[in-house]
Amino acid sequence: MSSRVSALRSVRIERRLDIPRWLAWVVPVASLVLALIIAGVVLAATGHNPVSAYRQMFQAAVTAKGGLTATFVYSTPMLFTGLAAAIAFRMRTWNIGGEGQLYMGAVAASGAGLALASWPRPLLVLAMMVAGVAGGALWAVIPGILRAYFRTNEILVSLMLNYVAGYFMYYLIYDSTSYWRDLSTPSARVFPTGKNLAAAANWPVFTAGSFVLPFGFVVGAVLAIGLWFLVRSTRYGFEMRVIGDARAAAEYAGIRTKRKIVSVMAVSGLAAGLGGASQIGDFGHVLDPRGLQQAGYGYTGIVVGALALYNPLAVIISSLFIGALSNSGNALQGPSFPAGLVGTMQGIILFCVLGGEILTRYRVTRRLPGATTHLAARPPASEVPRDGVSATEVAR
Amino acid sequence: MKRPMVGVAAGLFAVGLVAAACGSSKSSTSPTTAQSAATAAPSGATTAPSGTAPSTTGKWTTSHPFVAAFIYVGAPSDAGWTHAHDVARLAVQSHFGGVVKTLYKEDVPEGPQVSQVINELINEGANAIFATSYGYQDAMEAAAKVHPNIFFEQATGTDQLANFAEYYGAGEDGDYLGGMAAGFASKSGQIGFVAPYPIPEVIREIDAFTMGARSVHPGATVRVVWTNTWFDPTKERAAAESLAGAGVDVLADGQDSPTTGQVAEAHNLPWVGYDSNQESFAPKSWLTGTTYNWAVYYIPDIQAMMNGTWKTHFYYGSLKNGFVQLAPFGPSLTSSQKAAILAKEQAIEAGTFDPFTGPITEQNGTIGVPAGKTLPVYTQTGLSKYSISWFVQGVIGSPKG
Repeated sequence: MSSRVSALRSVRIERRLDIPRWLAWVVPVASLVLALIIAGVVLAATGHNPVSAYRQMFQAAVTAKGGLTATFVYSTPMLFTGLAAAIAFRMRTWNIGGEGQLYMGAVAASGAGLALASWPRPLLVLAMMVAGVAGGALWAVIPGILRAYFRTNEILVSLMLNYVAGYFMYYLIYDSTSYWRDLSTPSARVFPTGKNLAAAANWPVFTAGSFVLPFGFVVGAVLAIGLWFLVRSTRYGFEMRVIGDARAAAEYAGIRTKRKIVSVMAVSGLAAGLGGASQIGDFGHVLDPRGLQQAGYGYTGIVVGALALYNPLAVIISSLFIGALSNSGNALQGPSFPAGLVGTMQGIILFCVLGGEILTRYRVTRRLPGATTHLAARPPASEVPRDGVSATEVAR
Repeated sequence: MKRPMVGVAAGLFAVGLVAAACGSSKSSTSPTTAQSAATAAPSGATTAPSGTAPSTTGKWTTSHPFVAAFIYVGAPSDAGWTHAHDVARLAVQSHFGGVVKTLYKEDVPEGPQVSQVINELINEGANAIFATSYGYQDAMEAAAKVHPNIFFEQATGTDQLANFAEYYGAGEDGDYLGGMAAGFASKSGQIGFVAPYPIPEVIREIDAFTMGARSVHPGATVRVVWTNTWFDPTKERAAAESLAGAGVDVLADGQDSPTTGQVAEAHNLPWVGYDSNQESFAPKSWLTGTTYNWAVYYIPDIQAMMNGTWKTHFYYGSLKNGFVQLAPFGPSLTSSQKAAILAKEQAIEAGTFDPFTGPITEQNGTIGVPAGKTLPVYTQTGLSKYSISWFVQGVIGSPKG
């Protein structure tokens, strides 16, 4: 008995100092295959043919008429909120407020779209983007400043500000005669709704045959590339990574961590706010508080960012993955395929793919019994990178 | 070490591409017969209500069925609103047999996603789309403009186009009768109401319920708690518990699930339900409730679509035609109480009584509807049942949520 316990104790999970390139490919692929197998068992157990279900999902997400367009449409808001999460989380600044920052971006962008309707279209679209950026960034700076200078918990503050932003948006349309609210008809006075933006404020689309790409997705992709470059190749990004991996080391090295927290929160909020602007410009063309709150894009963005391992460039792919999953899920469900089963499948897939990430970052090792005493004196290997910054960690 | 992250994502993408190769080779075998009606949709056409309705006459067979699709806000298993719609969908299916194929999408949020769900249903060959919750209206209207050859129908909404119709029924008449039952059952005169969203449809329901309660229990009050959801048993339970804690002695709700009734049963309080007959969820507490028989509408409506005789409309079902029904009474009402409620039901059916006949006093004491005036169902301008945005006297709570 005691020998078994010590055998278990000798199993360690430790952080990898170096991630082999093949592993970063094999693990997610294997995770996905595993997910499809587990979900296949669930499908078979509930009397559905897994192969035809997967084929149907794939067709709906990619090959069906309008399928790929729908995937990109689903992905667009999550690309922005995914970037918002990725950039903040990379520095271990836990901005959970992407949701509220998206709302504030939507409020600002729709306000700009309404107020500047007479502007030429390119300028108007640009103005909406700028407004969205400002709305999201300013909203994110609040928890940023509180975190940096007053040491509040940014998770709680940014989360709570989501509700404040939600109620604010709700107030503008449902509980006031604000600039955003449509009061032009008797019907609109009773059934509260936002003012519709002029056609000039509709963001352009790119069409290739039957495929329609929203302008917002292109903006998001450009932003992703920009943020990737920022994190990877600039002093700003280097400092971010150092703060994220070893806060104390960053302070000793003279990095101004407080300023950095505020500015990274602003960058994170900017991404989410631009997502809000895209919701108005690309899709809604009206401020719809209830719809935006039901959509919950900000919270989904956290999953998108985590799937991408907080790499902005990979967020493009992970947002498309989640977009395809949502799109195909809606296509799959129906009288013979309950939505709950779709949710179960999506959950299994996300769980496996996110869980697989642990195998990329950590490894399981077993110590020989003879070596235990020697090793016990050392701190657990997983804590090492926090104290002394390893080159690999910084590079990530 | 940045590349591995890109690699992870690229790996996922690669799997997708492989699956693409596998999937597309077989996709050509899947039947796409019913899609023809959906394809010829010129984009951007704005159709006035005076335009032409989609023409569909005489081409529906079992091998080429008429596809009627439904968008549900909750699950068919909610035992309430969506359940009632799904019962009707199945009635449609069995009435028409193989000539009509029915589809649905459940748990669709009233948000940006609904536009995608509408597109998905069109891709699946839908000839008619029934959106069964108010929050879908804007997306439905936008889609109706783009697809003039598809029938769009919106429950509980207000707008119309040549291919976009409205349907609902006088739930408020049933709610008035349910309010009477609550008024009879209450000893203290304090009634609690678990309400979904502060929109006219729900405000009208609470007003009618309150007037019914006060008609048999003068001075009774109805305390409203908003959940801001149609279907969320957790929030519904919290709201019902808070009302029970506040000391009401009868509960009622306008939610999609019977959760309020389960709370009522646990606290031994009488309960007025909604949407479907929910007696089995709280057999002791059950008083009655407004129920909807949507098949009364769906079957002739779909028949008209298939015959080519469909015209846009604003349908409003009633107690009289069976679209709205009062659910069977529970055990606690006395026979004289039941008789009083049924007498009022007959008066409503006969047209001699309408709950929204003045004088009606608003919550703040002003006269909302003058004596002798009966509100119309819906008018573009002026006050109508559809546009009441205030609570009547006796309601405790804000109609703004």
